[in-house]
Formats: sequence, C-alpha cells, structure tokens
Amino acid sequence: MNSIHLDNTLPNVFLQRTDLQSDIWRQHVTLEKGKSYLVEASSGTGKSSLCSFIIGYRKDFDGKILFDGKDSLGFKTSDWTKLRQSHISMLFQELRLFPELTAMENVEIKNSLTHFKQKKEIEGWFEALGIAEKMQSPVRLMSFGQQQRVAMIRALVQPFDFLLADEPISHLDETNSRMMADIMMEEARRQGAGIVITSIGKHMELAYDKTLCL
Amino acid sequence: MRLVWKLLRRHISLPQFAGFFFANLLGLLIVLLSLQFYQDVKPVFDEEDGFIRPDYLILSKRISALNTIGLGSVGTFSEREMKELESQPFAKRVGAFTASQYKVSCSMGIDGVAQIGTEMFFESVPDAFVDVDLQKWHFSEGDDFVPIILPKTYLAIYNFGFAQSQNLPKLSEGVVGMVEMTISMRGNGLNEYIKGRVIGFSTRLNTILAPESFIRWSNARYAPDEAAEPSRIILEVSNPADDAIVEYINRKGYEMEDDKLDAGRMTFFLRLASGIVMLVGLLISLLSFYILMLSVYLLVEKNTEKMRTLLLIGYSPARVAMPYQLLTIGMNAVLLFLAAGVLWYIRTLYLQRLHAVFPQMAEGSILPALMLGVVLFMVISLANAIIIRHRINIIWKN
Repeated sequence: MNSIHLDNTLPNVFLQRTDLQSDIWRQHVTLEKGKSYLVEASSGTGKSSLCSFIIGYRKDFDGKILFDGKDSLGFKTSDWTKLRQSHISMLFQELRLFPELTAMENVEIKNSLTHFKQKKEIEGWFEALGIAEKMQSPVRLMSFGQQQRVAMIRALVQPFDFLLADEPISHLDETNSRMMADIMMEEARRQGAGIVITSIGKHMELAYDKTLCL
Repeated sequence: MRLVWKLLRRHISLPQFAGFFFANLLGLLIVLLSLQFYQDVKPVFDEEDGFIRPDYLILSKRISALNTIGLGSVGTFSEREMKELESQPFAKRVGAFTASQYKVSCSMGIDGVAQIGTEMFFESVPDAFVDVDLQKWHFSEGDDFVPIILPKTYLAIYNFGFAQSQNLPKLSEGVVGMVEMTISMRGNGLNEYIKGRVIGFSTRLNTILAPESFIRWSNARYAPDEAAEPSRIILEVSNPADDAIVEYINRKGYEMEDDKLDAGRMTFFLRLASGIVMLVGLLISLLSFYILMLSVYLLVEKNTEKMRTLLLIGYSPARVAMPYQLLTIGMNAVLLFLAAGVLWYIRTLYLQRLHAVFPQMAEGSILPALMLGVVLFMVISLANAIIIRHRINIIWKN
C-alpha cells in the first residue's frame, strides 16, 4: 500500500461544529509511504478516533478514507484482517497488551501470526530498550513506560507500509524515547514504510517530513 | 495458537462445563440406547413364525340387517376397490378370498368307513398368503386329491368345547391329518367326488382353505356362470399400527378381523416407547447444548476485550473463534466416544437377558445407533461452531 488518503473526513461527533480549524478534518490529506508525519493535537480533537478510523476499528465518520484509492467503506472482514496483518501496524495509546501474558508472550502472540521476526532479533530489542530482564515477567507487573516499550516491539513484528503510533512516548524518559525512536525509524526504513505519530505535547524527536495540526 | 488458548481459556467455568458434559452424556446415551434397544428387540416381533407376524389384515364388508333380507350392497369387493386398496401407501400386497360357487359336501371316515358327513364350502387365497408349509399345497387338474387347511381355532373348538362336553376323544393335528375325506361337488349338472385331507392348520386364515388352482378349476367346472367376486380380502401391510389403515378402513366401511393386531400393537408400543424415550434424550441433549452455549456466551462476554485486541492486531475472526470451536468439538467427540462405550456395555448386559428368553433371536446391528451418534455429533458441533463464530463476528462489528 502506497498511500492513505483522507477525503473530507470528519468524525460524526464533530458534524455540528462550525469553528473547526484542522489540517486533517474536512481536508484532502494524503499520507505517503516512506514519509514520516507528526499529528499534533490537543485533547478532544479526535486523535484516537483518527487512528481507529484508519485501522477499521470504528466507522462513525463522514467523508472517505482511501487506501491506494480504494474506499475503506467497501472493505470486507478479510480485507481488514489483511490490512492489519501486513500493511498498517498500530501502536495503541492504551497499549492493548494482554496482562496475563508475559512481555515476551505479548510479542510472540503477534509474531506467531506473522512469523516476521526471529526470536533473537526480538530479544535484541528488549535488550536495547532496557527491559530484557522483564521479558518473562507478566506484563501486568510492569510499569506503564515499560509496557509502552513492549507494545512497540509488538507493533514492529509484522510487515507494514505504515506505522501508526498513538502517543508512543507519553511515559518515557528522554533516553528511552530516543532509543525507541531509533528502533522505530530503523525498522520503518528497512521496510520502506511511512510513520504517523500522534502527540498532545511531548513528542518523539524525529526528522518529520510534515507536521499536521488536528 | 498456544498463546491464544492461554489467553482465552481464562474464565472457563469448570462446573458449567462439567454440567454440560454430564447432561449431554446422559442425553446422548438415552438417545442412542433407545434406538439400539429398538433395533435389538424388533427382531423378536419380526420373526416369521415366532411371535405372530403382525402384518396381515383380513377385511370384509360390514353385514347389515339389509344384507340379511337381500337388500343393500352386495358385500363383495370389486376389481376397482381391490386396485384402490393395493395402491394405498400402507398396502404391500392384496389377495382375494375366492369362495367355491357350487355345492360341496364332505364325508369323513377312517380306512374307508364313512363316519360323518356335512355340507361345507371352500375358500382360497393366493398361495403367498398361506402360513403353512407349502410343499403339499398344490393341485392341478386331473389330480384325485385336494389338500385342505383348517383354522387352528376349529380344532380348539372341537377339542376343548365339543369333545369335552360330549365325551368324545380329543384329536391332535396329526390324527386329523390322517382322516381322509370324500368331497362331493355338485353343480352344472355334474356330481363328482374327490379325496381330500387336512395338511395343516392356519392361525392366520379363518376359513376352510383349498389351493387357489383347485378353486379356479372347480368353479369353472361346476359353476361356470357364477361371477366369483371376493367377499373377504387379505391385506399385507408394512406397518399394521399405521393410523392410515384404520382411517381408510373406517372411511370405506370395511371390517377388520382384529385378532392379528395385538403383535402389531406391541411393535407399535415398542416404537412409541422408544420414540418417547428418544425424545426425552434429545430434550436433555438440547438442554445441555443450551447450557454449553450459555457458558460459551458468558466466556466470550468475559473475554470480549481480549478478543477485540486479537482482532485489532491482525487475527481473523475465524482464528479467534477457533479455540472455543475446537474446545466444544473436542468435548462433543469425547462425549460421543464415552456414550458409545457405555452403550456397548449396557447392550451386552441386556442382550444376555434377551438371549436367555429368545435364544433364536437375530441380533440387531449397533451401526444405526453409532451412525445416529455421529450425525448428532456433527449437527451439534456444527451448530456450536456457527454460534461461536457468530459471537466473534458481533465483537468484530462493535
């Protein structure tokens, strides 16, 4: 997939609003593969809604979202499954990890679906992000910042054309945030993928191609 | 798959699943056992000579007072009525009783010394309906001997009614068979004699029976002008307990000799009892199926968020549904094997007893019960799988 096009898109809840000033809502925006985007937003402007619309989790919007020109409203279940498995990877703001599984198992449950990464490489990431010793701990016993890193590793063990990261570093310190950005960029570059990062304040230091205000 | 299972097996309620398991085991066992028992016991009723063959009915038309004074309908069955009866779904074969149309008298004696004489008659039915050894049952033109079959009840009436009260000797079937009769036939200007002997006694046919070939020949010879429409007919049916028979016979105003219907009623009650028991089994199975589905609903409900996440990270609804589908199908399979095992064990127990009572009994097959079990397994498993998948689809949509 080479492009995601937002064609006059607007969450249904905003339909009544007249004072909308946004680079995305009610605009024609194309997100291209291989480029990186920062979506800056204040709370309540529909940042998570945008991610949910793109990933096909919610459909309560007006206008269109097109993947390579194909209208997402016409997508069947199998199309969405394929899209989530090999075209768009999502790092959820609420992480969506499985608390009863260990950190490693949380990653493996995705990798066993895609068979995309070797165990060694995954362990290398745990190492680099400073949570190697937590690999076999149940994820519910880890801090939110540590969980954020596990969630990111999980988001990377699949082929993708776009990586959607919804506030990826909200609970990370400078060093870890830097580390995470490096790993993310490296993987995206290897796959030639685009990156879309949302933020309500603190954001990853990257050389963004474009910054959009929601 | 291992990890998905580890995730989704949370909240599985053992008591609920155990409840389902035993309830369904019981239900399935009852269903299979009722069919198996029916299969095993049915041969007792089907035996050719054993417990009365249930499927012959003898029909006549109702005799009213008008008939007595020569009015009213003729009381015979026309060709058309026979055809119509034969075309009914419950009828297998129809045979007519043909009566002798000339005067018959017979005198009996032992060793040629005449003892008693009486006016009488003959009737015949097609040979296939005769329930006595057919080896001696033939007559062709020119023979000077005709075999005769008497109803068993005649002998009983004589032995236990007449002989006892008149101080006459009782007769065995063998002795009666030794008695030679001289039969006189008059009609069409002829008066001829033929020898006759009782070759057997029938429980099915309540008349004095001669071979059909004899009646045809003699009617043509002594009463060529008389039309011989039958006044009684014999009907072979596949299931004497069929309501349609009674309904048809009542509608047509026929009468039925009732004596043979008891065995039919027995089979009917056996079938009815097996049917009711099977229904109870099915009901229990259905309820246990309901328990299982409720448990699965509850399970899906409790694990909804996890399933939604699995879907969001790229799992297809089919893969998310699979663990629960496999769980239910696996349980159903174990149930089927267990039920089949217990069925086999119970069967050996009751077969021993049945064999003690009916040593010659042919054994029914266990195959139909097993097939029914497999069919039930497939239907229930398929229903389970579809319902589970449906629940996951609901999660997908919300």
